[in-house]
Amino acid sequence: MSTDTNNKLTIRDLKLWYDDFEALHGVDLDIPSGKVTAFIGPSGCGKSTFLRCLNRMNDRIPGCRVQGDVLLEGNDIYAPDVDVVQLRTHIGMVFQKPNPFPKSIYENIAYAPRIHGMMQDGPDMDALVETALKKASIWDEVKDKLKQPGTALSGGQQQRLCIARTIAIQPDVILMDEPCSALDPIATAKIEELMDELKQEYTIVIVTHNMQQAARASDFTAYFYLGDLIEYGKTTDIFTAPKNQRTEDYITGRFG
Amino acid sequence: MTEHTIKRFEDELTALKEKILCMGGLVEKAVRRSMKSVLQVDPGKAQKVIDRDRAINALEVEIDEMTRSMLALRQPAAGDLRLVIATIKIVTDLERSGDLAEGIADAMLQTKDHPIIHTSSLETLAELVIEQVKYALDAFASEDFEKALDCVAKDKKVNKTFKAFQRENLTYLMEDPRQITAGLLASAIGKNLERIGDHAVNIAEMVIYMVKGHDIRHVDHKTAAALISGELSED
Repeated sequence: MSTDTNNKLTIRDLKLWYDDFEALHGVDLDIPSGKVTAFIGPSGCGKSTFLRCLNRMNDRIPGCRVQGDVLLEGNDIYAPDVDVVQLRTHIGMVFQKPNPFPKSIYENIAYAPRIHGMMQDGPDMDALVETALKKASIWDEVKDKLKQPGTALSGGQQQRLCIARTIAIQPDVILMDEPCSALDPIATAKIEELMDELKQEYTIVIVTHNMQQAARASDFTAYFYLGDLIEYGKTTDIFTAPKNQRTEDYITGRFG
Repeated sequence: MTEHTIKRFEDELTALKEKILCMGGLVEKAVRRSMKSVLQVDPGKAQKVIDRDRAINALEVEIDEMTRSMLALRQPAAGDLRLVIATIKIVTDLERSGDLAEGIADAMLQTKDHPIIHTSSLETLAELVIEQVKYALDAFASEDFEKALDCVAKDKKVNKTFKAFQRENLTYLMEDPRQITAGLLASAIGKNLERIGDHAVNIAEMVIYMVKGHDIRHVDHKTAAALISGELSED
C-alpha cells in the first residue's frame, strides 16, 4: 500500500506482541512526507500501538515485542545502534492529555534544546522559543507571561504549548495520539488549523477517535481493525467511496 | 449492508429511498398517462397529469428538506453520503421529468382543433423513453448498476428514434400546410419525450455513482464500464 509522494516513514510487516497476545499482525504502510496521515479504528484496533511503534514508545512496556521494519527515510529505527533519545528528536510526540512540564512556559520550550545541546541560554534561545510558540499559534496568547507556569494555561493552550515544545527541537515527524480528545470544538479547530500549517514543514501522523476530524484534517487515512490495516488511501476516497466493506461499515457507523 | 448503529438514521435513510421511489412512481405514471392522453385523444387524462404535477413538486420540496437535515445533523459518509448526494440530484431530474410530462399533456389539450394524425413514431419513441425511465427507477430501487448502465445505453436508440420522428414529421408539414399546428405540437411532444429520456440517463448515472462511487458522466460507454470494473482509475 503505497502513495505517489515521497515517503518519510516506511513500515514493513510490523508485528507486535504484548506477551502472548499479537496486537499487530504484520502491517505494511508508507507515510508520505509533508502530509497529515490519520489512523482511525475502534478501540483496541491497534492504531495507538502502531503509532507508538513509530518512535519506539513501546520499548519499555514489559512483555512487549516488536518485529518488522520501521524505516525513517530508509534508516531502520529499531537498529541496535539507534539512540532512542536521539530518535525522538526526529520523531516527536504529542499526547492525548496535554502534559506540559511543571515549569514556566519559556522553560517548557527551552528545556529540550538545552539538554540536547542544540543551544545555550541567551538571545538565540529567546528567538527559538518565540519561533516555536509562533509556529504553534500560541505566541500572541503567552508572549506577556512567558515566566508563568505552563500548567496555568487552558487545556487547548496547553496542547499547543506541547506542540511548540515538540517543534522546538525541529523534528521530521510529529506523532499525535488523540491530541484533541480533551479539548472543546474551538480549541480542536485551532489544533486542526495548526496541523494544516505545520505539514508544510513536518510530516504529521495523528490517531483519532473522531472520524470527522480525520476527514477534516488529514490527507491520507488508514483504517485499523483488530490489529490489521484494513484500508489505506486518500482521505477523500476513504470517506466518499471506500473499497473495503469493513471500512464502509465503520465510516458510516454500521460497526458492531 | 449491515444496520446502522443509530437506528433513527437507518430509518431516515430508508424513508429517503422510499420517498424517491414514490416520487419516481408518480413521474413514471405522469409520463405514461400524458402519452396515453395523446395517443387515445383523451383530454381527461391530460388534465389529470396537469393536476397531479403538484404532488410531484411537493415531494421534491419534502425530499430536499430531508437531505438538508441529514447533511446538517448526521454528517453522512461513504455509501450514505453517496445516497444523499445522488438523491439531491435525482430529485431535480424527476421534477423536471414531471414538468415535461405536464408539457406533453398541455400540448395534447391544444390539439383539440388540430388533431395529430400520424402518431405511430411518437408511440415508438414513448415506449422507448418510458422503458428508460423504468430502468432508471428500478436500478435505483435495487441498487443495480448494470441496469443503470443499460438505461444509459438505451439513450442512443432513443436519440436515433427521435431524429427519425423529426424527419418524418417534417415531411408531413411539407406535404400539407394545414398540418402545421398539429405538426409543431407533435414535435414539441417528441422533444419533451427525448428530454425525459435524458433525465432518466442522469438518474441512472447517479445510481452508478451511488452504488459504485464512480462518476461516469460525460465519458463514453466503454470508459464507464472500465471505471466500474476497476480496470481504469478515476485519476
